[in-house]
Amino acid sequence: MATAPVGLALTGKKSLLQVASAIGKARRPSVIWLHFQDCTGCTETLLRTSAPDVAHLILDVISLDYHETLMAASGAQAEAALRTAMAENAGKYILVVEGSIPTKDDGVYMQMGGRPAVQVVREVAAQAAAVIAIGSCASWGGVPSADPNPTGAVGVNYVVTGKPIINLPGCPPNPYNLLGVVLEYVTMGKLPALDELGRPLFAYQRVIHENCPRRAHFDAGRFALSYGDEGHRQGWCLYKLGCKGPITHAACSTRHFNEIPGIWPIGCGIPCVGCTEKGVVWSMSTLETVPIHLATPPDTYPPIYSAVGGAKVGAAALVGVVAGVLGGATWVASQRFQSSQEAGLERLASDRSDARKSGAETSRTDED
Amino acid sequence: MAITRRDLILNIAKAGVPAAVAMSGAVKLAQAEEIPVPNTPVGLLYDASLCIGCKACEAACNEANNTPADISGDQLHQAPTDLNVFTRNIIKLYKPEDGSASSFVKRQCMQCLDPACAAGCPFQALYKDSESGVVKWDGGKCIGCRYCTISCPYSVPRFQWAGFNPVITKCELCSHRLAVGLKPGCTSVCPTGAVIFGPRTTILADAKQRIKKNPGRYYQDRVYGETDNGGTQALYLSRVPFEKLGLPEIGPESVPAKTLRWQKRIYSYFALPALLYVGLVGMIRKNLKGHEEEAHQLEKQTGLRAQL
Amino acid sequence: MSGEKTISATITNPPSKFESITIGKPVNKTRWQRAVPVYGVSVINPFFLVLIALVLLSLVLTVYREIVGLGPASGMNDMFGWGIWKTFNVVVLTAWGSGAFAVGVAAWVFGRKRLHSLMRMALLTSMLAYACGLCLLGVDVGRPWNFYWVIFPWNWNVHSPMAEIAICMSLYASIPLFLENIPPVLERLWHFDPRLRPGVELAERVLHKGFPVIIAAAYLLPAMHQSSLGALMLLAGQRVHPLWQTPFLPLLYVVAAAFMSFGCVAGTTMLCCLFWRRAMDMEVLNEAARITAWTIVGWMAIRLIDLLFRGSLVTAFHFDHYAGIFWTETALISYGGYLLFRSLRDRRTRSMYLGYAFSSLGGMLYRFSPTTLAYMPGPHAMYFPSTIELLIAIGFASAGIAAFLVMVKLFAILPAPAQEWRNMAAYFKLRKPYIGWTKYFNFGFFGDTEPTDSE
Repeated sequence: MATAPVGLALTGKKSLLQVASAIGKARRPSVIWLHFQDCTGCTETLLRTSAPDVAHLILDVISLDYHETLMAASGAQAEAALRTAMAENAGKYILVVEGSIPTKDDGVYMQMGGRPAVQVVREVAAQAAAVIAIGSCASWGGVPSADPNPTGAVGVNYVVTGKPIINLPGCPPNPYNLLGVVLEYVTMGKLPALDELGRPLFAYQRVIHENCPRRAHFDAGRFALSYGDEGHRQGWCLYKLGCKGPITHAACSTRHFNEIPGIWPIGCGIPCVGCTEKGVVWSMSTLETVPIHLATPPDTYPPIYSAVGGAKVGAAALVGVVAGVLGGATWVASQRFQSSQEAGLERLASDRSDARKSGAETSRTDED
Repeated sequence: MAITRRDLILNIAKAGVPAAVAMSGAVKLAQAEEIPVPNTPVGLLYDASLCIGCKACEAACNEANNTPADISGDQLHQAPTDLNVFTRNIIKLYKPEDGSASSFVKRQCMQCLDPACAAGCPFQALYKDSESGVVKWDGGKCIGCRYCTISCPYSVPRFQWAGFNPVITKCELCSHRLAVGLKPGCTSVCPTGAVIFGPRTTILADAKQRIKKNPGRYYQDRVYGETDNGGTQALYLSRVPFEKLGLPEIGPESVPAKTLRWQKRIYSYFALPALLYVGLVGMIRKNLKGHEEEAHQLEKQTGLRAQL
Repeated sequence: MSGEKTISATITNPPSKFESITIGKPVNKTRWQRAVPVYGVSVINPFFLVLIALVLLSLVLTVYREIVGLGPASGMNDMFGWGIWKTFNVVVLTAWGSGAFAVGVAAWVFGRKRLHSLMRMALLTSMLAYACGLCLLGVDVGRPWNFYWVIFPWNWNVHSPMAEIAICMSLYASIPLFLENIPPVLERLWHFDPRLRPGVELAERVLHKGFPVIIAAAYLLPAMHQSSLGALMLLAGQRVHPLWQTPFLPLLYVVAAAFMSFGCVAGTTMLCCLFWRRAMDMEVLNEAARITAWTIVGWMAIRLIDLLFRGSLVTAFHFDHYAGIFWTETALISYGGYLLFRSLRDRRTRSMYLGYAFSSLGGMLYRFSPTTLAYMPGPHAMYFPSTIELLIAIGFASAGIAAFLVMVKLFAILPAPAQEWRNMAAYFKLRKPYIGWTKYFNFGFFGDTEPTDSE
């Protein structure tokens, strides 16, 4: 289980011993963790890990120099701790940001020690080696940014530039996403490969739909149509209840929560709401079905010869009408040929009899 | 009447004797003409007995060719019922009602050695690549007459029925991937190796080896496409009869060779039509004189201007 | 000759009855000596308006087809790539309208001089059949903008029947057939205005010089493409039912075109004479009927012998719908031939007309079957034309008929005795003050000049 999260980030390390020794070799990097417009859920999620657990993490792996929830100090002491940590590890510490940053009205809606969050984050980020934006709020604005976004909440990458920023969206994200990034940095000295939104590929490359355990039901066309119905009880696919799995990039379908397999929204019968994606969660209706971008085959098979084409009533009627018209016209014409020929015969016969009566010679047997 | 017929024969004889000599030589040449063989023909070997019907090849084909999936069925799944403009290969299931052995079959272009589609195409929009032997479609020459859809014995080329710029779609063995050293999309993802790619000689030998190693496993102990329809570059092995899988028994002569033989001979070097033309000109010239004379006579008789 | 009597008789009582008797020896009271335009009949009448409406409807639907594509506008599908446009308007109707070829060969190559009077009708019907068929072909193909490749011979696939048809039909319709249809136009210009006469006479001389070459091409090319229309389905091989699929398909197609087109030309001429009260020349019509009937006999012989030798005749007794179609077409063509023979014996025009009708219908069915009815691409595949497809096909055919109705009144096409020309001259002379409102359609045939007696 321990190698599971790190294995994705640490290539080449084969066993737990090797990973541990590698971690032990590295100097404990300094981490400064700032909270802004957050619910502390991302910190909470970190508490639900066992490999490494939070204690091991902050005591042996990293040096957590500033964390408002976990640190003992408060007030002026806390601020002093922050300044010291920044000064001692300038250019080398990792800044982890949790929560979105308000920008409206000069950022007055969230202040630390009287200074707006925008100012604080820029100051701290300026001397950081890298910035990790944990959670959807820090990645792109999250809950505070939901319409009408009264505080002008935005993600970290909107206010901080010039530093490598890793986004770990999710509400909360799986803690192993963070651990993977941290451990890769600690052991390899580099950051993982990112996609175009700055999210590590090892956790956000695929959509939920691609690896969903209920995918077989989707492929077979077995859908739960309402909460509590037979299909829902059977654990069928939740697509028709508005599951956003097909458009949500996250690893939840393989790496469930609380380290208990099956404990994740879809596993509990709740359609995915797309908590990692801006424009999906708190934007789309939860019941709204989404298009499938990379449609794949179902588990039914077409026969060797399929039925195709067929007659339509209107067209068949038109053909009948045309055939009737042409046939009728031909018949009428043929009748007229008949009658005209007979009339011609009569006329000829009457002409002849007239000629005979008048005594004229008629030898009409052969004439040019 | 007797004179005109004799004249016709004379005319033909005058112009025809040398032409006939030339033509007999041409006919001999035409008969000796063989189907041009590509330099390094490549193809697919599909062993139906190994196929599990996972349809990874269908999805991979769409991805490799950048074609949208065909979701016209339920608007949800890629579930085409046959090849079409979005579907270059398809897995079908043969399931007999009496419960006897069923089989999957992967249908795509057979890449025939003497393709009927290319034989019928008026302006050579469908042509056989001289290197790989893949039958390709050139949109710059196609007029959309759909003769290829009529002439292909396997009903492979599919026409785009919607829209004003229709194309003909069919498997081209992912030539764009072959060009950069990759394998076709379908063979790259097949989990059981049911469909493999390679030079025709290699995969044919492979198929024969399988037959030898497993006597009685395959239908008639033969590879479909070795000589069928004059030979195809997509080869098939199956447990059930090939006809049940939709592969017609055409025989060893290719469709164009069998059906267009006389057409080719009659029009060979255009000799016969030219001969006929010369004869016709002579006949008509003769008859024209008589016709004109009669018309002038009629003109005198009726006093009305002649109509010629 | 009772000239005067005839003129007054024709003005007050236009000749309305065909005169021939079955008593004693056959008598031919009329001889077709020249072509005369149909005069005194207005172009605009309800039938013509219906045709024009159909044409306009089909043009609108054609625009729709160009926008949405072939699928929504027709009943064609992946299994039946050809609908009725190719298989009916081109394969069937151009054959039925290939009179210029069949009648021409009989008249010019085999020297049947009597048939010359039917030539202009044959040429006009052919021109219109080919024009409408080829225009519809342009609508039917999916990528017509690539048709320009037809002018580069090195790009032709010389073994393809489709290439042969595309090249040959286009060449034929645009050059020999077109040139052959020019003489009536030149003639009208000659009569219309004396100032044009020198130019017209020059054109006529030039045309006349080239006649043998043009006419020979006009017989070679149709022979080639009417047979290639049959060769088209050869390449379909096993997909055409064995009752029709044969190496002799090209030959059977071209001979079928021959007897069908005689039916078209002679039948249409008879119909025109009937409705426009013209006299019929039974010598010519009997000759045509004789040729048609014997052609049918020859065709039937080839067909049946071919079926016997290939062993396919057995399938005709399977009593499925293919056998039904085969027997229907055989019955239609045979009965048509029989009626033609009977009409020759009994001297009845009704039998002759019906003989042409039945044999044409049977021939149409024969040429249509291998392309659609007897084409078997798959056991569950079906095809039926959609309403739009049918309306477009009907519209294009109506265009041909409408054009024919106009041409036959504008130009001298329909054959008649020489007297009819003089009647026409007298008609225009008398009615000249009234010619104003009909002038638009009759173009005051003699223009503004006084017609002389010699015209």
